[in-house]
Amino acid sequence: MRLLNCRMPERRRCLVLLCAVLLPVGLVQAQLPVPELNHQLTQLATPVAAPDFILKDMDDESHSLSSYRGKVVMVNFWATWCPPCRRELPSMEALYQTFKDDAFTVLAINQWESPDHVFAYMGQLDVEPSFPILFDRDSAVSQLYGVKGLPTTVLIDRRGRVVYRAVGGRDFNHPEVRAIIRGLIDADVTESSATPSR
Amino acid sequence: MIRYHPGLLLCLPLALSAGEVRQHTDPDTGLLSWQVHEPGFSMQLLQLLPDYVRATYIARGLPPDLVEAVAGYCVFGTIVTNDSQQQLSYRVADWRYVTADGKAHPLKTKTQWVSEWKERGVAFRWSMLPDDQTFEPGDWSQGFTTIALPPGSTFDLVYSWRYRGETHEGKLEGLRCAPAELPDA
Repeated sequence: MRLLNCRMPERRRCLVLLCAVLLPVGLVQAQLPVPELNHQLTQLATPVAAPDFILKDMDDESHSLSSYRGKVVMVNFWATWCPPCRRELPSMEALYQTFKDDAFTVLAINQWESPDHVFAYMGQLDVEPSFPILFDRDSAVSQLYGVKGLPTTVLIDRRGRVVYRAVGGRDFNHPEVRAIIRGLIDADVTESSATPSR
Repeated sequence: MIRYHPGLLLCLPLALSAGEVRQHTDPDTGLLSWQVHEPGFSMQLLQLLPDYVRATYIARGLPPDLVEAVAGYCVFGTIVTNDSQQQLSYRVADWRYVTADGKAHPLKTKTQWVSEWKERGVAFRWSMLPDDQTFEPGDWSQGFTTIALPPGSTFDLVYSWRYRGETHEGKLEGLRCAPAELPDA
């Protein structure tokens, strides 16, 4: 394999190849003056039922969306090679830490990649997520949600309806986002008879 | 930047100037990037080396011939952003690149790539800039755009977007594909 056969005259070329294989795709793209992460979420004019799914996590444990009924769920579609996914991850973890003891969780649904690959990637992060990382190896779930690009995030209310959506990276640890989450946690208390099962 | 009007474009081609454009040269690699700001819409393009593109798809597990197919294109890292507080949409299929002979050509879209990959049993559908998107305020996307030109080629890019119920069009002039490889240090 050419990566393992890097002679000195090819050193620079090999470096580009090696970096791109070992590190996220963002390495070269990161040289772009990338947009600041904003905090705008789009409220759906008409909430829609969130399609159910069952996916496995890094420990091979299955998670179904329906098992989280009664909680507000932030579903994030992402991949390790996606630069804005990496940028928004710490804010998602901060949000999770703020609300995890309430009726709230984050489900980060990785696209295409293997648990081994993601596990190695997590070791590079300054902030390692403590919420469930799920694996959508064939991207079937992202297609159910009409995801065209990564990252895409949806907020599901306690009644199991998609109520907010964001395409592209966000700063989720913003007071306005936290207020939205708080509102969803509180608002549905009287509307939902469901009890969190997780 | 002006609002799209075909007749006007025929009569006053110079009026089809781009919005505010900034070009940047990476001091370490010499690779170029461009950033354009239009009403409600902004776009950034970054030259990507063929070897970088190869490595990206090798790492995703695509077969070598499919990897080479993408690396044979002129590829840009691309970011499109809705800078407005209104809905905005774009369609890559409407965009064109114009070569030195004045001919306009369509870009190869994500749908076309994914279709080719699917025929080979590869379900990977990420990394390319989505073909068409409707952005709400705050939305943006990042991905590769692919142009069928050899390394180092120059061309103009005509792009469009819909905003406030109207189609707008802009033109980035003098874009250049990445070189085949970085010059020796």
